[in-house]
Amino acid sequence: MPFPNVRLSNRPLHFIYLCDCSGSMAAQGKMQALNQAIRQSLPGMAEVARQNPEARVLVRAVRFADQAAWHLAEPTPVQQLHWRDLEAGGITAMGAALELVAGALQSPPMEERALPPVLVLISDGQPTDDFEAGLAQLMRLPWAQKAVRLAIAMGHDADLDVLQQFIGPEPAGRGRSPRRPLQASNATTLAQYIQWASTAVVGAASMPASRVVMPGERPAATTPPSGSNIPLPDLPPTLLDPIDDVGPLVW
Amino acid sequence: MTWLLPEGGTLQFKGLDQPLRILRGLGGGTQGQVFAVELGAPGSGEQLALKWYFPSCIARDPELRARLRQSIGLGAPNGDFLWPLALLEPQEAQPAGFGYLMALRPDGFVGAHLHAGGSLEISLQNVLKACFHLAEGFHQLHLKGLCYKDISLGNLFLEPGSGRILICDNDNVDIDGQGQGSVLGTPGFMAPEVLLGQARPGAASDLFSLAVLLFRLLSRHDPFRGARELAIRCLDEPARRRLYGEEALFIFDPVDAGNRPDPVEHSAALITWPIYPRSLQQLFEQSFGIGLRQPERRTLTGQWKQALARCLDQRQLCPHCGQETFLDPDAERHCWSCGGALPKPIQLQLPHGRVVAAAGNELQPHHVDALAGEAIDQPLALLVPHPSDPSLLGLRNLSQHTWQGQLSNGQQIALEPGRTCNLAPLQRLDSHAGAILVIRP
Ligand SMILES: Nc1ncnc2c1ncn2[C@@H]1O[C@H](COP(=O)(O)OP(=O)(O)OP(=O)(O)O)[C@@H](O)[C@H]1O
Ligand SMILES: [Zn+2]
Repeated sequence: MPFPNVRLSNRPLHFIYLCDCSGSMAAQGKMQALNQAIRQSLPGMAEVARQNPEARVLVRAVRFADQAAWHLAEPTPVQQLHWRDLEAGGITAMGAALELVAGALQSPPMEERALPPVLVLISDGQPTDDFEAGLAQLMRLPWAQKAVRLAIAMGHDADLDVLQQFIGPEPAGRGRSPRRPLQASNATTLAQYIQWASTAVVGAASMPASRVVMPGERPAATTPPSGSNIPLPDLPPTLLDPIDDVGPLVW
Repeated sequence: MTWLLPEGGTLQFKGLDQPLRILRGLGGGTQGQVFAVELGAPGSGEQLALKWYFPSCIARDPELRARLRQSIGLGAPNGDFLWPLALLEPQEAQPAGFGYLMALRPDGFVGAHLHAGGSLEISLQNVLKACFHLAEGFHQLHLKGLCYKDISLGNLFLEPGSGRILICDNDNVDIDGQGQGSVLGTPGFMAPEVLLGQARPGAASDLFSLAVLLFRLLSRHDPFRGARELAIRCLDEPARRRLYGEEALFIFDPVDAGNRPDPVEHSAALITWPIYPRSLQQLFEQSFGIGLRQPERRTLTGQWKQALARCLDQRQLCPHCGQETFLDPDAERHCWSCGGALPKPIQLQLPHGRVVAAAGNELQPHHVDALAGEAIDQPLALLVPHPSDPSLLGLRNLSQHTWQGQLSNGQQIALEPGRTCNLAPLQRLDSHAGAILVIRP
């Protein structure tokens, strides 16, 4: 006779893409690269969701150009998700996109109990609307404060300061960190970051992974670094553009 | 996935006299990637698995190489571990880093999280067998003076049709109390003293993690997710620290009812807990009660083995619904599944144990030999239904010896290896190892 048909109760994990669809994304195939990267990442994301008894991974997406609008409004189980292509054209209403997401993270519609949401902001330029107001509205919400917030800068024209504000306080030191905007200067790197966010980060936010201490560190450090309530996984080893992450070029 | 080693390529490693072919990448985790490889002549060489570490993992764990060497030298505790077989360092500068060879996991083994997630068809008997193998594996590992440090669902594979297990990710194994390996464990499985930063993982914290893993396999639920979980809105790291550390309270704590399962949200726990006999429940109460703060009071691997083996011996099929039940056959009992009264079963009395006569139950060497530790991988006999009339139950001789049976009318029969005798007329069976008496209610 089979084991009784029961399971550990699970919680929703809301994963929301905020995608820049401004006119500049049409250049150099950036829009296509983003569509490809997201589409290619879905099987891996579905596999993480399948392996994870504690989470129900639900995906949504916002597009922003002249305005912000839901591109995928319904929280969709990743296993059932078919990615429709985003199209570029217009300016960069990033603040409006944050307000839209704020509406989704209010309770209701947010469930009473959930796992930390994951928000991934992808942009190649500067906001053209009131970014500060949008961010303030978002960050008033407890679910936004608890969320894992990641940002991917496409190309070298993205506004890194704005993206850093979205993520939160900049970590000390230099170098690549998930708490800094991730700089994707080519399609391969973009795909690696999207894959990382949709698999490793989703895993970390939903099911705790093995915890390690650095040599010399005291083991009391099982609390994640301040500014986050989820320990983020290592970034994937990527082929770096030689001028990414070298620090300021001129000062 | 970008692979660290070239798929289809051939690499030379120090100490290997033959080149190693990288067949394909199998997957990647946080520490590195695993490849299917072939050693020896293409097509007819030995197929193995190779774990290759990320540089970041090597950098944060300076003792990794020495630990692997030590484990390779000591050898696997038993066959249930995908143990490191050889350390591989490249002969040339590229690829940088190192890895180790282990056996390839055979098809048919699936990640234990599938079971916890409710999406695996497996019998209760095989879940109990898997739990027994788990207790046995860590028993052997601890007896060698080693500790594992990161027992969790993620490092366990199950074969649903047999209850066999494989324990992977053995690269944190160290001599208990020694070494400063970097791993602390997996939240949800870590002992409170490790989670709260008061101790390093070792054999005592392994016992806690083992109890959690056994509970999760047997209940498809979590030992600390009860009323207190419902009070948590966002289940993040600080919340987990409270739930599993600072404020940890077992959902079935016999005295403190402050964290009982919710009938709707935690129904799995409420359905599965009554399946198991008191003797097994008490071991959980001990590890998650007094053992929560006093590591030396945690249930020992030997105690788990004994209780789990006893549970398997008590397996009885409900005559009303067919479900497997495991309660003490000498008490008044009701089926956990349909509620029907369970009749007193026929039992087989052996010199050192008593086994309920139910199809699928087995007689083990430890039932006849007081000195043999509990083991379930080489049964002496198996209870089987007759192939065309399943209402007839028989006992199959799995040994290499012919046994003598005595029927209730005084007649003698010989039971050759591999043959099965009908239990109905049987009074006793003299096996090469000891007498088997049929006890009727
Ligand atoms: N011996 C093996 N045979 C076959 N597949 C294996 C073997 N060992 C590991 N794998 C598979 O390779 C993949 C990566 O394994 P690895 O142990 O590196 O990852 P993990 O356990 O996910 O990571 P972590 O180290 O973060 O726990 C997994 O999908 C695992 O199932
Ligand atoms: Zn029944």
